[in-house]
Amino acid sequence: MISLTNPYAQEQLRANLALMEVIDPELNINIVDMGLVYGLDFNDPKAITVRMTLSTPHCPMGDAIEQGVINVLQRAFPERQTKIELVWEPEWSIDNISDAGKEQLGL
Amino acid sequence: MADIFVNKAPKELAVIPFYGTAAVFFFLLCVLLFLSATELTGHYFHPSILAIVHTAALGWGTMVIFGAAYQLLPVICERELFSTKLAFLSYLLLTIGTCGMIWSFWWFDMGWLMITSGTFVVCSGYLYTFNLYQTTNDSNKSQVNQHFLLLSAFWLCFTTTVGLLLAINLRYRFIPQNHLDILKLHAHAGIAGWFLQLICGVGAKLIPMFLLGKSQKTRLLYAALILQNVGLILFLADGYFNPIGLRMLLYAILIASGTACWLLYIIDTYKHRARKNVDLLMKHAGISSLCLSLAFMFIPIILLYPQTKWASLYGTLIFLGWITGIILGKTFKTLPFIIWNKRYKNLNGKIKIPMPKDLYHGGLIPYQYYLYLSTLLLTCAGIVLEQANLLQITGILWIIVSLVYGYNVFRVIFHKSQVTL
Repeated sequence: MISLTNPYAQEQLRANLALMEVIDPELNINIVDMGLVYGLDFNDPKAITVRMTLSTPHCPMGDAIEQGVINVLQRAFPERQTKIELVWEPEWSIDNISDAGKEQLGL
Repeated sequence: MADIFVNKAPKELAVIPFYGTAAVFFFLLCVLLFLSATELTGHYFHPSILAIVHTAALGWGTMVIFGAAYQLLPVICERELFSTKLAFLSYLLLTIGTCGMIWSFWWFDMGWLMITSGTFVVCSGYLYTFNLYQTTNDSNKSQVNQHFLLLSAFWLCFTTTVGLLLAINLRYRFIPQNHLDILKLHAHAGIAGWFLQLICGVGAKLIPMFLLGKSQKTRLLYAALILQNVGLILFLADGYFNPIGLRMLLYAILIASGTACWLLYIIDTYKHRARKNVDLLMKHAGISSLCLSLAFMFIPIILLYPQTKWASLYGTLIFLGWITGIILGKTFKTLPFIIWNKRYKNLNGKIKIPMPKDLYHGGLIPYQYYLYLSTLLLTCAGIVLEQANLLQITGILWIIVSLVYGYNVFRVIFHKSQVTL
């Protein structure tokens, strides 16, 4: 959820839209609806830090997803460097999937 | 930057040759089944049956399993594969050794070619085990899946070593026990040690990944590991010193109980899965489990009734039902991803790219599934009814199944990137 009182609300919205272009190759749904993105940090004016996870630790598709995140954010924010902070806590679960994602997965 | 190393995908050389060569061996296996249809219900110690069984066990089953294991080890151990070069060397040795063994068994030439080929296969197994051990050794995680993999590799080494000794024994007799009794121990160390424990270990990691399901009942996996190994060790020890008899059922029950524990874990994962739609590739795995359960149920029949057709049916359920079923399904859940990673990883998010499932002809999967299922049923019927003509027809059907599978495997392997920036 993006708060409108957040000073970076506009950037967050733009980043979220960009990240929706990154598809999980196994499930064929985007990583935002998949609930893999935990947070975006714009405090450093030269960088965006993406705090995210993977559905399985050391998923073989992990580097492809990471590369996708870098690709879309570099295009959306060419003035900022993309940093990815990969975390395993909280562990990803089915509850992370958005309603749109659940619909695509037939849940 | 990511604080945890994520790039765990192994190099293509450690995986792709195994899948491609296994598809060729599967075709060869099906041709041999067609050519030997009249011998299928006879005694298993027959040149063509021995050739068929070793094509299935080494060229088909072990070949794919090596490739899949090299691909999945980094996922299971959460670190890179120890050596791609050793993986490729194990491929060369396994391929050359298996070709020599099939030729030697088919013509029943138990000379230097058989012994050299057997030595190659043994070396391949030891290289695989060394690579696996080094990869798990460096891992800071200790999971039950790793224990399954390590123990299955031990049983692979045991099986291939005993197999080589048996081959030498046919030329220069030195084993005091009955050759056929030791052959049964060799076969079951391979089935219940190598194949069963590896499939249990890898399946317990992969199936939850594919179904997006999780089970908290890890104790079931430990119970499976212990029961399968205790049952197998007792069987081998008893079978070495005493003739194979009805008491072997006790050890079969231990191994079957272990396998039931593993199945309960998988069922629990299935119940808690996020993906409700189970595709045909996953249904292959369902058939495979059913065939394994049926094979266990046939053990008392084999021990009680002397007719060779029951042993043939048991072998068919193991190799063409259980092992082939799981490979036909899982190939397209694993192989396309390594090719996709190579071709499209860097383009993800830049432009519209095909997904891994687009790399094979999805429309052929239903044909592969139903043709495989009906061919397997007809083969079992042909064996039970001892109908050589029916088995000849199923031989042709098996060849078609192998061609459909092989087409998709090579379509994936030779996929060229269709997009440019």
